[in-house]
Amino acid sequence: MVFLRADMCPGLDSDLVRDLRAADVKTVEDLVSSNLEDLAHRCSVSYKQISFKGNKDLKDFHPSGKALYAIRRVLLAQHSAFPVSGADLYEELLSSTAIISTGNPSLDKLLDSGLYTGEITELSGGPGSGKSQVCFGVAVHVSLQLKQNVIYVDTTGGLSASRLLQMLRAQTCNVEEQMEALQRIRVCRLFDIFALLHCLHTLCSDSSSSSSVEGGAVAAAVAAGGGGVEGVSLQQASVSGGSVKAVIVDSVSAVISPLLGGNHTEAMSLMIQVAGILRTMAKDFNVAVLVTNHVTRNTSSSRSCGTDVQPGLGVSWSHIPRTRVLLERVEEAGTGIQPSVRSATLIKSSRQPCFLREEFDLRFWSQTKTSTSGKRKREESDS
Amino acid sequence: MVMSSHSSFTPGDRRCLKDIEPRLFSDDGRPEQGGVVELYGPEGTGKTELLYHLICRCVLPKSAGGLELDVMFVDTDYSLDMFRLVSILDSRLNKALPKSSPSAGSDEEALLRSCLSRLLVVHCSSSAQLLLTLHFLENSFSSRPSLELLLIDSISAFYWLDRCEGGPSFSKQEEKLSKCSDLLSRLLRDYRITVFATCHSIRRVQTGLSSSASLSYSSDSDRSYLCRSWQRLVTHRLMCFRQEAANNTSDEAGSSIQQRIQQVFRVHCISSFSSSGSKPYKTNSFYVTDAGVEFTSV
Repeated sequence: MVFLRADMCPGLDSDLVRDLRAADVKTVEDLVSSNLEDLAHRCSVSYKQISFKGNKDLKDFHPSGKALYAIRRVLLAQHSAFPVSGADLYEELLSSTAIISTGNPSLDKLLDSGLYTGEITELSGGPGSGKSQVCFGVAVHVSLQLKQNVIYVDTTGGLSASRLLQMLRAQTCNVEEQMEALQRIRVCRLFDIFALLHCLHTLCSDSSSSSSVEGGAVAAAVAAGGGGVEGVSLQQASVSGGSVKAVIVDSVSAVISPLLGGNHTEAMSLMIQVAGILRTMAKDFNVAVLVTNHVTRNTSSSRSCGTDVQPGLGVSWSHIPRTRVLLERVEEAGTGIQPSVRSATLIKSSRQPCFLREEFDLRFWSQTKTSTSGKRKREESDS
Repeated sequence: MVMSSHSSFTPGDRRCLKDIEPRLFSDDGRPEQGGVVELYGPEGTGKTELLYHLICRCVLPKSAGGLELDVMFVDTDYSLDMFRLVSILDSRLNKALPKSSPSAGSDEEALLRSCLSRLLVVHCSSSAQLLLTLHFLENSFSSRPSLELLLIDSISAFYWLDRCEGGPSFSKQEEKLSKCSDLLSRLLRDYRITVFATCHSIRRVQTGLSSSASLSYSSDSDRSYLCRSWQRLVTHRLMCFRQEAANNTSDEAGSSIQQRIQQVFRVHCISSFSSSGSKPYKTNSFYVTDAGVEFTSV
């Protein structure tokens, strides 16, 4: 909805804007959809009524049909989207899309070798199913092994920098490397949807503004809630060594689901706005977006997943992520409950057949189940 | 901008897209020129896959079973996966054209590129931009007579945004989509194109849909929720849903169907016009394989 303003384009002066407004044409869409001959006529009539300087020719006053057509053409070119040939689009995607490995071989196999940039991937699971731990693992892998920046948006308060440090220590003993990797993880802590929208808008914009984005190292040294440094946009974050390759939002349902009980339309609209910014960010900045979601009980009679839970946030959200993975605890009958093993099921994918299932152990992130090197103790944390 | 005279276009130029996918529609209810087909269904039911199938059918050369037509794809929710589309095109080209010589590699590349150049993609991020873009695309329709198919994925992407922006009055909420529908009906009339649009469902299906084709699909969850102008424009409605197939042992084409639950996608067509005496309904099923949509012989 773009309102007509004077000097938006050559030929659109304030008098014309006023006349168009009088003819009930206030936005660019109104101008483009209206009958221009009619409109020129109506505008010229209003000129005639106001003033008629005797000697001057009337056609110097009224906006001729041609001028309006020219204005319409310019405005249309400015505000509509341009078609791109499929061949060019494919070339561009070939050169700019990257596959970000998650660091865990089983998860990579499930996701067809990793998280794709330009797409939203969703992890859903019940409480304690390991969503945040998987997010930590991805963040640590991207910052340490791939040496790229990560933006971690934490809406649950579950991010603990000491846990990140513990995971880093398991992968490398070099303190400098650990600190550098922590520096590359930039954390935003926010707890409501408007702060999330603001943070995402800031990330997409060209200039910085003050939102609290802290480097991971700062978060490690200072307790949560300490002083935030100046907010950065994605472009600025990429200037400071390495580019941002992953944006992790943990969790997106924590800020949206409280709204769904109230004004339903507004909540859905906010949800779609968040989805829109995440998608635009993924496409324009070539980042892989990973979001987490809660689960609800599966009430439909056709239990296609074979599970009795389904991802939350309803049917309208289900179209948004390109790939969806469901995490569950594993209970093996013979050996009893293994506290750190999780199973991941692929419930939506455009590349792999659905309902592939992989198991992995949260203790050994980078190694497969069989290797026992780098075993570390994991304290029971809240996710 | 094309004003009232369509100098570079005559109505007889565009061929009929009736045979674009005869398996989807009943014999008498194929989409005529100027027909609008709405693909409706919850997520993961193969709507975008069907669109890929239609794109392949149009852009492939005649020797590979295509129609060599241009396709305009309006992408409103960033769901076009070019890699998936290219892999489908690739596998269909490989199946259809024999590999003749070692230098066929670059020929295949060139062939793929020429197929892809028949596809035009445009992204829209709001319903206002969709309206402006459709106005802008009028140019393309008039200047490219081989552009016969318009695919919109999806037409319901801005539904909640429009509802919230419009406030309490329904007419304001539906205003933009109504304008888009009116513009589409004018484009359909003037340029005789065919439109396929996907529409996501917003309510969960309460009861599992059985495979009986005699169900009258008038349950609440399947009713169209978009504005009246759009509903009037739609001539065919394809309801898509997904079913578990029992572990069937069909090994047609020798492909390796693994021994696990196979996803079968069903699509049920309801057309709003059909000659008297024939069923307006048709149900079909398909699998999604590496080469795209494959219909089962039902």
